[in-house]
Amino acid sequence: MGKGVRMKVIEIKNLHKTYQSNGQEVHALRGIDLDIESGEFSAIAGPSGSGKTTLLNVMGGIDRPDEGDVIISGQTMKGLSESELSKIRLNRIGFIFQAYNLIPVLSAVENVEYVMLLQGVEKHERREKALAMLRDVGLEKESHRRPAQLSGGQQQRVAVARAIVSGPEIVLADEPTANLDQKTGSSLLDLMKNLNHERGTTFLFSTHDPMVMDRAERLIRITDGRITL
Amino acid sequence: MKMIFLLSWRNVWRNRRRSLVVITSIGLGILMMFFMMGISKGMNYQMVDNTISTSLGHVSVHRKGFLDNIKPSYSFVPDEDFMERMKSSKGFSWAPRVKVQAMIRSSESSRGVMIAGIDPERERTVSGIYEYTSKENGSDFLKSSEARDILISKRTAEKLDLVVGDRLVLILQDVHGEMTGEALTVKGIFSSPVGDFDKHVVFTGLKNLQRITGIGSRISEITIKAENRDLSYRIKKRVEPWLKSTDVVVKTWQEMAPSIVSAIRLYDSMMYVFFAIVFTTIVFSVANTMVMAIMERFHEIGVMKCLGTKPLNIFIMILIESLNLGLLGMAAGMIAGGLVLGVLTVTGLDLSFFSETMSILGSGTVIYPVVTVKDFFASMVIVSCTAVIAALYPAVKAARIRPLKALHFI
Ligand SMILES: Nc1ncnc2c1ncn2[C@@H]1O[C@H](COP(=O)(O)OP(=O)(O)OP(=O)(O)O)[C@@H](O)[C@H]1O
Ligand SMILES: [Mg+2]
Repeated sequence: MGKGVRMKVIEIKNLHKTYQSNGQEVHALRGIDLDIESGEFSAIAGPSGSGKTTLLNVMGGIDRPDEGDVIISGQTMKGLSESELSKIRLNRIGFIFQAYNLIPVLSAVENVEYVMLLQGVEKHERREKALAMLRDVGLEKESHRRPAQLSGGQQQRVAVARAIVSGPEIVLADEPTANLDQKTGSSLLDLMKNLNHERGTTFLFSTHDPMVMDRAERLIRITDGRITL
Repeated sequence: MKMIFLLSWRNVWRNRRRSLVVITSIGLGILMMFFMMGISKGMNYQMVDNTISTSLGHVSVHRKGFLDNIKPSYSFVPDEDFMERMKSSKGFSWAPRVKVQAMIRSSESSRGVMIAGIDPERERTVSGIYEYTSKENGSDFLKSSEARDILISKRTAEKLDLVVGDRLVLILQDVHGEMTGEALTVKGIFSSPVGDFDKHVVFTGLKNLQRITGIGSRISEITIKAENRDLSYRIKKRVEPWLKSTDVVVKTWQEMAPSIVSAIRLYDSMMYVFFAIVFTTIVFSVANTMVMAIMERFHEIGVMKCLGTKPLNIFIMILIESLNLGLLGMAAGMIAGGLVLGVLTVTGLDLSFFSETMSILGSGTVIYPVVTVKDFFASMVIVSCTAVIAALYPAVKAARIRPLKALHFI
């Protein structure tokens, strides 16, 4: 912590999101204001249905808010087209989902390369970076295995590698440890924390696991679509 | 782009069994198609070739109206200039013929026929009658143009209870309209693949028939045989200007036998119907497979889109996957088809249990399938297009998958 000048990576202003579900309105987000600074290692915590996933999706440009704005490094997401959003996702955000993150027909190293390929990184560099990244997450030997031949924890490690290899401004992880046992989840967390320290990558993840909450440097509590303290 | 190919290719092999089923069904469709096409084309070719080699020739020079009135009076004397040019021209062979309606009678029975007077030497270069004539049991082809010999078909011989060496009576109307009869010796027995021809045509020497009919040196037609049947029109255009008399015309086999041309067309259009059925099957089986594949990969495609994959790339990925299926199926079908047809072009396909029909069609009972390079490429293009078309709807669906929804869907 405390390295370099702190900058706002994400600014969230008065975010509202309502879903229609069987004719009923569900207020998933009811006015969220939040700033995330570079280098943070923060967790969003809250009970099931409180709006964690919705918040991360809106931040990552996968979902659109009904009201309010998300600003990534000074760039507003308001009014952007689908392809502009997809470009922001590609270049500025790393995603880690709860499970089934990887493309099953690609090997671990190919999965890591995939994002760089979309970014147009040259082949040689791509492979080198992907292998180095896998080494960093401790999967050097498994680099040519397909996801089905990897354990859940190993798959999540590949997902972490893929999320940060392209040098995003922030990595958004929705319950990355939810499908893992205590020990594996803990070591995944160690890994992310290390990367946060060594590379200064900003992490924001959601969880309802107390163990994960303990490890976060900042805890953002959310209940019923509102931030609580 | 390379990655798209890689993804598509690996995706094909993901559900191995399902893909193999699709590939096999496409392969079988193609095999069937090639088989049908090859056989029917072979049949067509043989039908036409046999008709050409028995009676038509590629091009015929004769008097206007002769085809409708096969009589001695519809004969002509080709002018010397024309004959000079015929003799010195290259690229085709030709033979003069006299043709009249007649009746032949044995002690047993009688039969109406068309008798053709031929120049034995020249005739060998334009028709198959020499090959069709048996050289066994004393039977032989005509030796001279003047001899009072006759060639009859095996069928006629059986009907009239005649064998080689027997004599029969030929009765016809001469040039003056008088009935005349003449005794001829059966010199040889022939058997062609065309049933109708065997039933109705007999041969004698050109000079012999000119003498019997009293037409002197006149002939009924000059038959021309080109190197292949597709040259008929070109030959006609070459020969036509050499003729001075406007009463003598030049006709191609297509003009003389429009029914054969339309039979070929009918075959072709039947083939199109058949293709349509095969390809509709391909379309549905491919489309079905691709829709299922996309349903299975809903989540994964969502992830790909979350990561920033463009919809266009997903669209292309699905099209290529489908194209892979189509091309693999086609390769399988072509290899199988190539083997089957390859064997059949050597051995021929014996359809003698349909013998009656086959000889009516004039194709002969053993069919040698024909597949042209054009058919090969045409089906390649068609299969590719079909596979792509079949995948359009699934591909659009996949490209439109909303990542948000897909993430929920595990
Ligand atoms: N696509 C949707 N359609 C309708 N309602 C939705 C949709 N997505 C989320 N919701 C509703 O919005 C609210 C917030 O959901 P969200 O998924 O953000 O919660 P969460 O905090 O991530 O919960 P969990 O801890 O169970 O993952 C819930 O009441 C949920 O039912
Ligand atoms: Mg959630």
